[in-house]
Amino acid sequence: MEALNGLLTGFGVILTPSNLYLCFLGSLIGTLVGVLPGVGPLAALALLLPVTFTLSPVGGLVMLCSIFYGAMYGGSTTSILLNIPGEAASVVTCFDGHQMARQGRAGPALGIAAIGSFIAGTLGVVIMTFFAPAIAAVAIRFGPPENFALMVLGLVCTLFMISGSTIKGVLMMALGCLTAAVGLDVVNGRERYTFGSVDLSGGIELLAVVIGLFGIAEILSNVETMAKTTLLADRIRGLWPSLADWRASWRPILRGSGLGFLLGLVPGGGPVTAAFMSYALEKRIAAQPERFGKGAIEGVAGPESANNSAVAGSLIPVLSLGIPSNPVTALLLGALIIQGIQPGPLFIAQRPDLFWGIVASMYIGNVFLLLLNLPLIGLWVQFLRIPYRVMFPVVLLLCVVGTYSANKNVFDLWIMLGFGIGGYVLRKLEYDLAPFVIAFVLAPLLEQSLRQSLVMSPDGAMILVKRPVAAVLLAASALLTYLMFRRQTKNEGGLS
Amino acid sequence: MFERTLNVFWIVFGAASAAYAWSLGMVGPAGPESGLFPFIASVIVSGAGIILLLRPLGVAPDFPRGGGLWRVLGVVVGLIVMAAGMPYLGFSVTSFITMIILLRAVDQSSWLSAVTLAFISTASVFWLFGQMLGMALPRGPWGW
Repeated sequence: MEALNGLLTGFGVILTPSNLYLCFLGSLIGTLVGVLPGVGPLAALALLLPVTFTLSPVGGLVMLCSIFYGAMYGGSTTSILLNIPGEAASVVTCFDGHQMARQGRAGPALGIAAIGSFIAGTLGVVIMTFFAPAIAAVAIRFGPPENFALMVLGLVCTLFMISGSTIKGVLMMALGCLTAAVGLDVVNGRERYTFGSVDLSGGIELLAVVIGLFGIAEILSNVETMAKTTLLADRIRGLWPSLADWRASWRPILRGSGLGFLLGLVPGGGPVTAAFMSYALEKRIAAQPERFGKGAIEGVAGPESANNSAVAGSLIPVLSLGIPSNPVTALLLGALIIQGIQPGPLFIAQRPDLFWGIVASMYIGNVFLLLLNLPLIGLWVQFLRIPYRVMFPVVLLLCVVGTYSANKNVFDLWIMLGFGIGGYVLRKLEYDLAPFVIAFVLAPLLEQSLRQSLVMSPDGAMILVKRPVAAVLLAASALLTYLMFRRQTKNEGGLS
Repeated sequence: MFERTLNVFWIVFGAASAAYAWSLGMVGPAGPESGLFPFIASVIVSGAGIILLLRPLGVAPDFPRGGGLWRVLGVVVGLIVMAAGMPYLGFSVTSFITMIILLRAVDQSSWLSAVTLAFISTASVFWLFGQMLGMALPRGPWGW
């Protein structure tokens, strides 16, 4: 009942012309970002973050969230028609979606991707409506030791879920913490790692880091190859799936919705993992697994549903606990902090307008996205005709403007360039950059919780194991760490 | 070879950072000091670097060569021009020059199309962010 009242509050907040417009605009930009290869939702959010500072917190957050889930819708279009994923969560859609397009079934592939996304996105928001306040109600009793333990668990979960080397993930995480330490110590105002530089005393700007690591590094990777592709747009006929398509797809859509939501909740999970896991699940339980990779509609319906549902799932830990589960939600956390809002257990109680406004906007945004992605598919196809060689200089210009506008400081451009080159090289060496960004955003809160815990304890670090909730969370972290390194040792036949 | 060098860099960087963090202080009378948290992070960086150095190397990274390398360098040079020129020449002129570098070096567009596209895109971005959204973009000595 409380959730329903909250939802009514949310609709009251969102159903104003300006907020509806921002929700629509975010959905539109999100779809465009998803459709255009080389511009991911993270880079787009980072670019538009300074724009939202001029908006109300509700309007700004609604717009950023709608870009995030809008990109999940749009990403499938490029995967299906070009065999290039518009964003990372749509990689698996290439496998069967593009094969369907080659067989002249691009229409049903695009149709089931949009409808599956709509169903999963809406189901995800329904679960979020009831689930997030329940989690926050439990977490509201947490003190600094529990918060510290929870953040440690979040970081360990992130490491557990990354695809590459765990050691490289650990290194990236520690590096993220170190980078965040640059600037003034929040507790006593002492300078750290600034070496007398005025530019560094304010710390390293989040936007410069994110745009560098994910925007510039992506552009460098793309210009290196500049692959020529074939657009299968002339074969789009009949977007509405046939009865046989529906029969094959409804179960994968529901399974993808559930799996995606659960994986979205887990730090380190999120849309990308959800899409891959859903594809693997559908293939494993299929009566004819050999159809996968050759145009099976289940291979489109499941993953596309999973990545949309994961968006709703991944917003729960960031809004109700203040723990981001992936780089996009880490950026959203940064956006909230910049707006002077501290997400966490008290967020729903202190800012019900904002929390329920975001939830309500997601119901409306999903309807906008269905309308944008089905009847307007022809418009998005026209964008795909723009060659990347024309598009990337404009994206690069937007990266520069986005980075500069945060602090009006040219020094941030050098930071962006440094992180861009660094990110490009590290990607080549198979370093996962997600732990870096998550640690970079969480590190100030993590350090503050650790120091507060140690100050309030007469027994030093023992407070972390004497408080039951903190002890359980740290034990879970230790168990996951053990499992992670055992898996790594097995895979590599020993660490050394 | 490159990966080995990078792993050595992590070890040295972590050790230097840990030494600096130690100088900031670990624990004082009022509790943990400024150096404790970065010290822990630095030790992890160094430790991970040592483990990576001891591990056998995987597949050699596929660094760009030939045309790919030139395109990557073109983007990097373009961004350097942008960051170095913006405080003196302003956003519009620096962007225009950068766009021409990118379109000529990366895309190998003709001069006419490079200049046309550079003008249109710079003017569009300046109008959108500088005029419509009211962002204070750097201006050159000529006032724009």
